[in-house]
Amino acid sequence: MPEIGALARSKGIAFHSDGVAAEGLLGIDVQRDGVDLLSLSANDIYGPRGVGALYVRQGVRLNPQIIGGGQERGLRSGSENVPGIVGMAQAAAIMAREMAVEVPRLGAYRDRLISGVLSAIPHCFLNGHPQERLANNAHFRFQGIEGESLLLSLKREGISAMTGSACTAKTLEPSHTLMSIGLLHEEAHGSLEFTCGRFTREEDIDRVLEVLPGIVERLRKVSPIYQGNEG
Amino acid sequence: MDVKPTAYSARVLDHFQNPRNVGVLEGENVAVGKVGNPVCGDLMEIFIKVVDDRIADIKFRTFGCGSAIATSSMITEMAKGKTLDEAMKITRQDVATELEGLPPRKMHCSNLAADALHAAIQNYRASRGETIPMESVATEPETKVFVGEEAFIGKGVFYSVDDPALLKDQRVLVLDSGPTSAILSQDLMNYTDRVIFLTSDTPDDAAKTAELLKQAGVKVLFQSRLKEIKGHDEVEKVLIHDLAENDDYELVVDAVVILRGACDAEG
Repeated sequence: MPEIGALARSKGIAFHSDGVAAEGLLGIDVQRDGVDLLSLSANDIYGPRGVGALYVRQGVRLNPQIIGGGQERGLRSGSENVPGIVGMAQAAAIMAREMAVEVPRLGAYRDRLISGVLSAIPHCFLNGHPQERLANNAHFRFQGIEGESLLLSLKREGISAMTGSACTAKTLEPSHTLMSIGLLHEEAHGSLEFTCGRFTREEDIDRVLEVLPGIVERLRKVSPIYQGNEG
Repeated sequence: MDVKPTAYSARVLDHFQNPRNVGVLEGENVAVGKVGNPVCGDLMEIFIKVVDDRIADIKFRTFGCGSAIATSSMITEMAKGKTLDEAMKITRQDVATELEGLPPRKMHCSNLAADALHAAIQNYRASRGETIPMESVATEPETKVFVGEEAFIGKGVFYSVDDPALLKDQRVLVLDSGPTSAILSQDLMNYTDRVIFLTSDTPDDAAKTAELLKQAGVKVLFQSRLKEIKGHDEVEKVLIHDLAENDDYELVVDAVVILRGACDAEG
């Protein structure tokens, strides 16, 4: 981040970052990272839905997207959502207090999940870096099976996850992020992302490790492109 | 089950969770229909064994979402025991109805199951030299599409090569579709030194052609089938099935030439 910030600044480019995924997991420092604009949301830190914040570095000039009453220094007209704002501030305060405990706790879950899944399931890969990743995020791909069918099977076991599969997206295109890190279409379709959060417990990780290998095996038996099937 | 998974019907979930007739068929009077491609996330194979013009046995394998698996499973139950003509009349709507409906966005998956069944029947009939009565075809009569093929049309997949110079210095795979494809392969050697001719024939079947191709410098892969075309934005690799070894391997190529002529070498 600091390198991107420095590069943008040297070229006179305003640097906006979406900090939503990092909230509560990474220390965000707009000075260190050279960020001019930073988006944050309340519901990603267990605050109320429908509230967000935009950090604007002093001296960065913006055109308002919503004009009218001139609230928020004319940048976003419309009566302020006071309960939402108070709720977000409270959520941020709680998060700031808990981060020191939460980040290592979630990181340990993540590492257990990653090593457990990779060792229990053949032809399974981790997307992204083993350590240089958010503490709550484990992102796999399973050769030969498609993400939505995985999701559907997991939901029946009470487990929620996300997939890069087109079937769950409105566009019917696989995740462009996964495509741009070099995955083939079928690999992107077979991707599955688990995230942990405040309400995740050790038993939840146990549960995933208990049911996931069987689900993958069952779906691979049906698959025409799983390399482990003969023919 | 205390979690409401999706808008899928109980029937869809049942077929997804307990798919019927999973597997492959081999041997006499067996044909396979393959449709879809992994780019859009769905891929189906339906195998039929035909006895006295009836579907005596049927199996499937599907890579795809929940409804893709459920529709494949459903159609195997619907088609089993039917005559080929009756089975040709099963439509995607029939499958959806039998499954107590599908979410609107999933209707294309259901479409694939019917297409795969129809392709299997057509391949069976083609292998016996029968002409296909067009009026019994419930959907478009696309005979056989290789996995990945549609995604790469104009991006490495060619149905005709009017000017071989356009493939200069490229690694070209030519599928055997009779004499025209063999002549094209020889011609391509004037522009590139890497031309691969893929045929399901044995070296004995095609001794004459093979000799000519060899003299021209074309590499001939006997007893092989194209299984899949892969790549990101354009063709990068093909997956070849070696019939003799019953093994798959990948080959790096830049172009695949499919002259859909009188003879489709696939069985």
